[in-house]
Amino acid sequence: MIPFKPDPKLDLVLERVVDVPPDLVWTAWTKPEHLKKWLTPAPWTTTDCEIDLRPGGMFRFVMRSPEGKDFPNIGCFLEVVPNKRLVWTDALLPGYRPSENPFMTAVINIEPQGNGTRYIAIAIHRDQAARKKHEEMGFHEGWGKALDQLVALAKTL
Amino acid sequence: MPAQATARRHGEDINDVFRALSDPTRRQVLERLSRKPSSVTELAAPFDMALPSFVEHLKILEGSGLVRSAKRGRVRTYQLVPKRLHLAEDWLTRQRHMWERRLDQLDSYLLDLKEKHT
Repeated sequence: MIPFKPDPKLDLVLERVVDVPPDLVWTAWTKPEHLKKWLTPAPWTTTDCEIDLRPGGMFRFVMRSPEGKDFPNIGCFLEVVPNKRLVWTDALLPGYRPSENPFMTAVINIEPQGNGTRYIAIAIHRDQAARKKHEEMGFHEGWGKALDQLVALAKTL
Repeated sequence: MPAQATARRHGEDINDVFRALSDPTRRQVLERLSRKPSSVTELAAPFDMALPSFVEHLKILEGSGLVRSAKRGRVRTYQLVPKRLHLAEDWLTRQRHMWERRLDQLDSYLLDLKEKHT
């Protein structure tokens, strides 16, 4: 169940089914020691994470680039329903204080399916201008060098 | 939900592009085509490969939309479709990819956790 209509130009909806119980999925999303293990696609790492699991509570993590540059993220939780739904944003700081550079809101919906769990991760982005920030962060992972070269070539065609 | 369906279709397109790019022969073909359109014979020449196998690579490339071909007389000529490559520049595509990888990591981590708990 998605609580809003995603904008295909700005938002992402990712659905997964995994063969573990919902409470384990919840734990992996809400305990810093777990989040640090998977939150950042390699070769990026998550070096620090702080969670105050309640609406208005702090959600902070630091992503480190392969070159060793740190990118801190800070926001707060909006909705905390154990084993069911987690919502946070960086548009609001802990205590709901409006932040300077909001980028996204994320919704995680968790529900049991058979012996496993179906979860949906939704990333709601502010606007096209907010894209720039992520580009500066260097999220160009996954596309090989060959493709980069091809793109460069294609631009000259 | 139509928005979701669109996103999913888009994702599949991207998977085709990734799949096409995952092979060194196909990447070399793309690099050659980025210089000029070429016939099957011209494209196959540098490769020590049976023609039917090589044609399979071309089919995968064409299926991904990265190239298109046209037959004139007995000669089939391939050319690059630059628009397709621009998919690679799409910001949301990269976001999606980042999230896919993140969730891949989560899922394998969860399965590890489950094993430890049982």
